[in-house]
Amino acid sequence: MCGIDELKQVTVKENYLSIGSLVRLDDLKKHAAIVKEFPVLIEAAETVGSPLIRKSATLGGNVLCENRCIYYNQSEWWRDAVGYCLKCEGNICIATGSKKLCYSEFVSDTAPALISMDAEIEIADHEGERTLKLEDIYTGDGVCPRNLKKSAVIKSILLPLQREFHSSFHKLRQRQSLDFTSLTVAVSIDKNGKLKSVLGGVDPKPVVVEGNSDSNLEEIIKLALKGSRAIDNEMFSRNYRRSMISVFLKRSFEKLIG
Amino acid sequence: MRSIKIKVNGRQHEVLIDEHETLAHVLREKIELTGTKIGCEQGSCGACTVLLNDEPVLSCITPAMRCDELSVTTIEGVSENGELHLLQQKFVEKGAIQCGFCTPGMVMTSLDFVRKNPHATVDEIKEALSGNLCRCTGYKKIIEAVAETIRPQQHPAEANGSKPHNGRIVGTGMPYIEAAKKVQGKAEYADDIRLKNVLHCSFLRSPYPHAKIEQIDTSAAAKLEGVKYILTGVELPEKFGVLPISQDETALAIDKVRYIGEVVAAVAAETEAIAKAACNLIQVKYKPLKPFFEIDESLNDIGTEEKIHEHVKFNNNVHKKAELRFGNQEEGFQSAAFKSKMNFEFEGITHGFTEPHAATAYWDENGLTIITATQVPHYLHRALSKVLKLPLSRVRVIKPYVGGGFGGKSDPFPHEIIVSYLAIKTGRPVKVRFSREEVFISNHGRHPTKMTMEIASDETGNFRALDADIAIDGGAYGSFGVVTTYYNGVLLQAPYKVENFGFKTFRVYTNKPQCGAMRGHGAVNSRFAIETLIDDLAHQLKMDPCELRLKNFMPSNTLTAGQYRITSNGSRESLLKVMEQSQWKERYGKLPFGHGLGVGCGFFISGSALPIIRNELPQSVVHLKVDFDGRVLVTSGASDIYQGSDTMLAMIVAEVLGISMDKIFVLAADTLLTPVDLGSYSSRVTFMAGNAAKMAAENLKKEIINSVVARKEISADELNLADDCVFSNDRKIELTWNEAIDFTIAHRGAINVSGKYISPKLGGDFKGSGAGLSPSYSFGAVVTEVKVDPETGAVKVLNIWGAHDCGKAINPLAVEGQLEGSWHMGLGQAMSEQVKYFNGLLINSNFLDYKIPTSLDTPPIHTNIIETADPEGPFGAKECGEGAIHPIIPAVANAVFDAVGARITKLPISPEDVLQKIKNLSLPNAAQVNV
Repeated sequence: MCGIDELKQVTVKENYLSIGSLVRLDDLKKHAAIVKEFPVLIEAAETVGSPLIRKSATLGGNVLCENRCIYYNQSEWWRDAVGYCLKCEGNICIATGSKKLCYSEFVSDTAPALISMDAEIEIADHEGERTLKLEDIYTGDGVCPRNLKKSAVIKSILLPLQREFHSSFHKLRQRQSLDFTSLTVAVSIDKNGKLKSVLGGVDPKPVVVEGNSDSNLEEIIKLALKGSRAIDNEMFSRNYRRSMISVFLKRSFEKLIG
Repeated sequence: MRSIKIKVNGRQHEVLIDEHETLAHVLREKIELTGTKIGCEQGSCGACTVLLNDEPVLSCITPAMRCDELSVTTIEGVSENGELHLLQQKFVEKGAIQCGFCTPGMVMTSLDFVRKNPHATVDEIKEALSGNLCRCTGYKKIIEAVAETIRPQQHPAEANGSKPHNGRIVGTGMPYIEAAKKVQGKAEYADDIRLKNVLHCSFLRSPYPHAKIEQIDTSAAAKLEGVKYILTGVELPEKFGVLPISQDETALAIDKVRYIGEVVAAVAAETEAIAKAACNLIQVKYKPLKPFFEIDESLNDIGTEEKIHEHVKFNNNVHKKAELRFGNQEEGFQSAAFKSKMNFEFEGITHGFTEPHAATAYWDENGLTIITATQVPHYLHRALSKVLKLPLSRVRVIKPYVGGGFGGKSDPFPHEIIVSYLAIKTGRPVKVRFSREEVFISNHGRHPTKMTMEIASDETGNFRALDADIAIDGGAYGSFGVVTTYYNGVLLQAPYKVENFGFKTFRVYTNKPQCGAMRGHGAVNSRFAIETLIDDLAHQLKMDPCELRLKNFMPSNTLTAGQYRITSNGSRESLLKVMEQSQWKERYGKLPFGHGLGVGCGFFISGSALPIIRNELPQSVVHLKVDFDGRVLVTSGASDIYQGSDTMLAMIVAEVLGISMDKIFVLAADTLLTPVDLGSYSSRVTFMAGNAAKMAAENLKKEIINSVVARKEISADELNLADDCVFSNDRKIELTWNEAIDFTIAHRGAINVSGKYISPKLGGDFKGSGAGLSPSYSFGAVVTEVKVDPETGAVKVLNIWGAHDCGKAINPLAVEGQLEGSWHMGLGQAMSEQVKYFNGLLINSNFLDYKIPTSLDTPPIHTNIIETADPEGPFGAKECGEGAIHPIIPAVANAVFDAVGARITKLPISPEDVLQKIKNLSLPNAAQVNV
């Protein structure tokens, strides 16, 4: 895979900017088109991991970043001691006691930014090539968070040009580097007033609420909270993360709409 | 298996690799370049950073497969022809290297950064380094080194500064004598030691917190090819523990396990992989017992359940109770005008040194030798002798370079005993190294603590009484816990005068990894409590909290309530310094909502006056040997674990003898070759080993002078040793150092002299009077500035102004490094660090979830050394390695109070807690508005 140059290109395809899946996060800022049209993607990418990690990590890798849960991201020995959870071929969720649902968190930071700008994803698998809305690859099932086939390859991420997005980005974390997100909020509004809020870190999939600049913002917050199935499975409590959803969304709206 | 071609530092290699092998593993194990360090195995510490085709990568998570046909630069390839790169020179010169374990990664990350960013700002440097964790330095000197590489100063100081200012060495900032070795990746840490024909050891650890071991079946494991020895607990029944009064641990669990992670079996095998596979084949039958995880559960009567330890006196899990009372507390509280009383809760924290534990042991005609990452070779020496039933004369402990300790490498550890035993049983060297998870499970960190404390003052703010009720969670075994139990209380009796003072502390056993000594041992949490109460008292008194402290400081040369002898005391100078620098008077209480200043003070021992094992032996001895070549060999048992003790010894000897540092060679911490020093704990090394070195050097000086006097017509008091010469006042006699040494050797043969340190007899004659006794105490103060986001509760520390009275800074560069590291570590406990358990199992046993502040989380640190010249310290010096951690934590919390009125009583400070408190405060106001 590393040798496929096509996957490392940033090109304009009709009304889209196509960013190859192997473009490294650290390199996004080197592309003038991204800096000019989609600066929030760079802002989001710069919060991923550490500067060192961003020199290896790719955009394709980040949108596919595996869901996390403090009861899942552990060693074999740890799992042996505690018991295997739903996400690890066990039959119970350690965090909630549920026998059905895994609530491991969706933690990609770039995906919420991308989705807020109506990004699409170009996929190739043994059945051929397809382009999907990026949010449509996420299932909401923590055990199997994406609906891609095993043979699938991400070719590129497509971002619509000339929409003149204004965006805002917030990430809740304890430290200013290294940490995965506990809540990501990306909001974009385009030249026609179309508004899209996307949350990460509070559900097994990105939580998307759409509206426009005239929408009732309280209603958007309510929908976002309703869509978020955060549980106590990391260092910040569920309650705190939920209360930060409205703070971050309000701040986003203040910045974008005033 | 497949083969890759990889060019490393210009040399081509062809290596067979496994599918999942990492670049770090290939570099260290197959190409044998051990300068690249492995600290976390998950890309979250940066110690393994190398350049891959000139781009920095984390080699511990880079698949080796991806590196085929690529070129790698490791730390060993940075200097050319023995010349340090400018960046490396700056790391050395600025004191950016302490333990040196993060250094290779730091250098590689910075090297790429300075090449690509020739005009970078300090903020950009901080950002660039934010994926490389350092636990020693607080990043300040590392950032300075990178900044100066980008913009070299006009008059760079001497790179390996052996040139003293004004002819004095003591008082001149010196890079560590081994800094150049560390900055090139040449310093060998325990896991870098390669012995031939070595066996690898791996452990089977208990998955139960409290359970009977009913059966261990090793038959399947024994059949695995390459397995050489399978060890279970019954073979090593002798108990050990660092304190003679709590010998409650065995090398492996026998009959029952007491925490998840306890070693149940050990395998020595031809490879690490075989040893691990064999562990997985061992079948253990457990019968679970009721586990105890909380302090309260263990304090109470446990009914018919089984106690964690049989030897506990009552039907509970209380390990130790300590209580001392002085003056008349009741009267003190009754007659007081103001009182403050609060309940506090502290999560446990852990040392977080970047180098995981590792050890190699071997057995030969000289008996047992172990090379291990330890702070206290001497106590390990004794423990190995006891458990393995070997005479002391057949045990040798060698400390290689150690990648940080902070108290976490100061107990004798099961793994050290196990590999020693396996080396004896197999006749081959046996090596073990811990994963980061195993380091966390071994813990020995700061005790989770609950306490209630109350302080009272008269109408003008004079403290009248102090009382503390404390319970600490010791985990499964004793460790240093008895000392911790006392320290939580006794170290409240300074720096303020309080005659009516008392405390009661319980230490309980729980089914969790044991707690022990960690930087600031035992006193950190109770210091937080008292400094918080003082802040509240000041608020009640409508008094500036700094003024309240100044009013209550005890003077120099006094006795505390519990009869500690306070000699030099720089509390006042320290506090005044940070007040001035922070513009305290102009700004405290006057900043807008959400923005605040806070203060804290503290003090700490300069070494425990009483040795752990009560005997009449010196606490430290230093030998000096000189032969015809004129080089002075300094041998000392003191363990340099990052704090610069080797350099300190060299500087003291050079100062006394008036010779340059390049005539000194330090050989330290090898129990066969070096005289006993009790080790690096309780901030004792500069005071005790420093005094021993000074005495030894003075004895050597006498020998030299006597020899010159015997040959020349001159009286001893007219001779001087300075500038590598021995000369008379009138300069009629002027000998070079080597001439003087020739004289001396001709006179009395090659020279061996010694110096020693024994603490003076101190303290009262009541039970418990020895706890916290020290020949000298350090003092300090910190002011911090914070911003609090009132909508999220997030706290951001903007500035740290710190001052610390270390008596005399023998090596100011090292002292600054210790202070900055202490403040940084305190910042971690204040803001983000905690060990979190789920049913007795650690859930954040890695550097991603255990949150050591990164460079971006560390604000500017303003460092002030205060010198008060201690009468008994070497050249007036006292400790600086631990005391500075005490004031910073309450200073942050008190700043949060100044900013938003939220009183912090739980650590770490959580934004959720702050937010709730802000909301509670605004409730009455909100109601008023509504009316």
